[in-house]
Amino acid sequence: MTKRRTLAALAAIALALPLAACGGSGGSGGSNSGKLTFFSWDGEDTMKPVIAKFEQENPGIKVEFSNAPPVPEYISTLQSRILSGTAADVFAIAAENKTNLINGKHVVDLRDKPYLKNVPKFNQTTYSGPDGAVYGLSVASWGAGVLYNKDLLAKVGATTIPQTWDEFLALCHKLKDAGVTPYLESVQGMSTPLAAFLGAENQTTGDTMDKKIFDGSAKFKDYWVEPLTQWSRLWTEGLVTRSAVGLTGDQVRQEFVTGKAAMMIAGPWDIPGIRKAAPKLKIEMAPVPGIAGGKPYLAGAASPGYAINSKAKNPEAADKFLAFLATPEAMAIYQKATGAITVTSDFQPTIDPALSPIVKDVRAGNVYLPQIAWKRAEDILNVEATAQLQLLVQGKATPEQVANALDTKLASTS
Amino acid sequence: MTAQTLAPAGTSTEVPAGAGRPPRFNWARARETSANQLFLVPVALVFVVLLVVPLTQTFYWSFTDFTGYSADVNFVGLSNYRKVLTDPSMLAGLGFTLAFTIGTALLITTFAIPLAVVLNKKFFGRNFVRSVFFFPAIPSIAILGLVWGYILSPLGSGVLNSVLETLFHAGPYPWLSDDTLARLSVIVVAVWGGTGWHSMLYLAYLQSIPADYYEVATIDGASARQQFFHITLPLLTPAVVISNFLLMTGGLKVFDLPYTLTKGGPGFATYTITQSIITSGVAQGRYGLASALATLFAFAVGLVAVAQLWVSRRIERRVL
Amino acid sequence: MIGFACLVGVPLYYIVVNTVKTQEEMARSPLGLPAKLFLDNYRHVLETVPLGRSFLNTLLVTVASILVMLFVGSTAAYAMAMRASRFNRIFGALLLLGFIVPGQSTLIPLYRMLVGVELVDTLRGLVVIYTGGSIFVYFLIQGYISRLPFEIIEAARIDGAGPFQIYWRIVLPLIRPILATVGVFQTMWIWNDFITPNVFISSPEKQTLVMQVYRSVGEFSTDWPGFMTMSVVVLIPMVVFFILTQRHIVDGLLAGSVKS
Repeated sequence: MTKRRTLAALAAIALALPLAACGGSGGSGGSNSGKLTFFSWDGEDTMKPVIAKFEQENPGIKVEFSNAPPVPEYISTLQSRILSGTAADVFAIAAENKTNLINGKHVVDLRDKPYLKNVPKFNQTTYSGPDGAVYGLSVASWGAGVLYNKDLLAKVGATTIPQTWDEFLALCHKLKDAGVTPYLESVQGMSTPLAAFLGAENQTTGDTMDKKIFDGSAKFKDYWVEPLTQWSRLWTEGLVTRSAVGLTGDQVRQEFVTGKAAMMIAGPWDIPGIRKAAPKLKIEMAPVPGIAGGKPYLAGAASPGYAINSKAKNPEAADKFLAFLATPEAMAIYQKATGAITVTSDFQPTIDPALSPIVKDVRAGNVYLPQIAWKRAEDILNVEATAQLQLLVQGKATPEQVANALDTKLASTS
Repeated sequence: MTAQTLAPAGTSTEVPAGAGRPPRFNWARARETSANQLFLVPVALVFVVLLVVPLTQTFYWSFTDFTGYSADVNFVGLSNYRKVLTDPSMLAGLGFTLAFTIGTALLITTFAIPLAVVLNKKFFGRNFVRSVFFFPAIPSIAILGLVWGYILSPLGSGVLNSVLETLFHAGPYPWLSDDTLARLSVIVVAVWGGTGWHSMLYLAYLQSIPADYYEVATIDGASARQQFFHITLPLLTPAVVISNFLLMTGGLKVFDLPYTLTKGGPGFATYTITQSIITSGVAQGRYGLASALATLFAFAVGLVAVAQLWVSRRIERRVL
Repeated sequence: MIGFACLVGVPLYYIVVNTVKTQEEMARSPLGLPAKLFLDNYRHVLETVPLGRSFLNTLLVTVASILVMLFVGSTAAYAMAMRASRFNRIFGALLLLGFIVPGQSTLIPLYRMLVGVELVDTLRGLVVIYTGGSIFVYFLIQGYISRLPFEIIEAARIDGAGPFQIYWRIVLPLIRPILATVGVFQTMWIWNDFITPNVFISSPEKQTLVMQVYRSVGEFSTDWPGFMTMSVVVLIPMVVFFILTQRHIVDGLLAGSVKS
């Protein structure tokens, strides 16, 4: 009986305490004019130093931070808050929600803001609307390419990084003959080499490839078959086990850091983990070698941008916050915490030397990712593409069948 | 479906208030009845506020072009339903979802009941063993994906493959890279995660079996095996019904476990219905469409659930 | 049995053992015991995560929700068991809707509802949402109640006990094993639930413990040592709780056999 009474008392406290603690104010905003709410894409550990500095420089403003892990949780949490009018003053606009945010007029146009001046055009256009308005302050980009273990390469006498896909495959053959797993990539999403091949193609066609596919004047089939065929040589020539289809990015990295695989697909985010897990490894990253006269290219995109809620309770503070985020000072703190490749022109990021071969291209926006370049039904097509690529790796579909499946899917979503 | 079989065989108690037709109005009984019905008020409140109201809203949205971002919507009639029913990819997940549901329900039931009987006995380290079996259900699905991905890695360095290599010089097997093996692996991981949980449920129900049944049976010379099949199993029927109902409804709605382990692949091998609701509806800001899908899906699951309860009710009657 | 349990426990062992290793050692031998106990992961968690506040929040929400759920679920099961009228049977069947509907489809309407009554971003709001779990509690208890020796209730009725007394003094003690079990189930659910607080809570000071686990998840990569360490921290109170409640399930056995 005494136990039950203790429980009842606990329950009473449980119900009363939050009652006292929050006094009925729901959601963001409130009467405090100096409060700025910020719903972040990056975790608290990353953003805390940046916010501390901002608060120090703007003594009147207190930033209330919250975040959700990307991507699906972030998108759905932000969505329900926007729908109910409880969204934060500043939040992230990402490739996955930009269409809905812009069409619904939930974000403020930043086009004429002075802090956009130092942001490259590539990052601006990623988050711009059809009318040329810019809705997100994107201060970083990422690019994924091939990461090489230079010690293993040296073992088979390779001293330079391959520039063409044929050279790359020849290197794979050499490594395989020497008893090393030459190369691994996770095929649980869009393939990086494939995206890079397509990106190089898109650049030579003057950025018209996806426009044509989506306005109906061309088909996936016209552009995708050759890149798919080249990519699938990794399996048709027996260089990589077909079982690789079930690998996650974490598993691929595990093979690489333990020196079992000589090359892997990687992005800037992989580097800190690899440095920690294998401090002595000699590594270098490079763009994916080009096919059929194409240049080496990177898969990649602009990072999510900071956007101002069109119903922000504190728009002035939000504006100040964005202006601060673009300053070299804030960039330095952010860059130190994330290791990201920042793009603002008045700040030169200090980046891990392994990444130096790709930094220039990433900062210039010479990167491509199909699901970002696509004009609609991005998620549906991406899921279909991933499944089809896996069938290709398994040897159950031909490049033509994969491209046709995408054309069929696109036709069914209109 | 709720509480018809009030007492086990032998105790022929009838439902007190509802039984027998009263010749004329009985005040005392009416007072008792209404006092009894008062106990249903809390659950009715929960039901209406947390279920009926939101569901009505979802049902309404299924006839609109709701994006999930803005509350002003346009009525579009049945077009969402038409889209769902004519899209061939909606069926992509059906096969595996059914296989998963039936597979996990059968396997978990088969393992959980004997496990519960063992865990009900006193032995050294029982609390430890109970915890180990129960806790797979606990840590977040993301971690389980990491750990199991590592165990089931198709490469020679995967835990399972290196064990098989050392013991039998066999492998490496493409656990998550081959259609059939990937489906089996996902089911096995689900069974690993769910068996302990369901055996705790059986364990609770074992407590409602009076100990003297076993005493009498032992005196009569029944073996442990006979006791299990003639006392334990029949008297656990309500638990079997409940456990399987949960497994069925949960299995049909499954999403995160296969998604974490395989992302639905290879190809569409482990793609599920819920995954297609999420990718083609919610993720694309087509909330109206997603609502239509959810409505149709709930209706289908409801049919399966009613059928399952009806069948098990029959079996229950026969057993008792 | 213990050997078999160890096999089942391998993944749990993997999680725990890798929180006390350096990343280098984790990459080299993920399943081996650490050469030297490495506590930096825990030190980092203790230094950067507001554990006390989050723990208190989670505890309050869990305790309040469980009590409400057990009350609602057990009263419902009791009423249905005492009176199997047609109305009650149909209502009982309707309650099962709670299992049939995919959770994602009620999230947005519920969020809007809580905004309307100013309960969003409050711990009380979370308790309200979790109360939906009462239907699950009801479902598990009703099967159990149907197996109770009904003579006891009948005898109490003849002695003049009213429905409330019968519920409180006779039925509740008799269903203790299932109350304890379903209590454990629901505690585990709420304690570890991430989706609900992630959507409903935005103020830092109202965050629950599990929300801290996801601090280390990024867009492309996850800081697994951090993630696993925080997961272990969240898990420890649950293990203690689980072992403590085990006693009640066995208690029920004795009570049941004495009375019948």
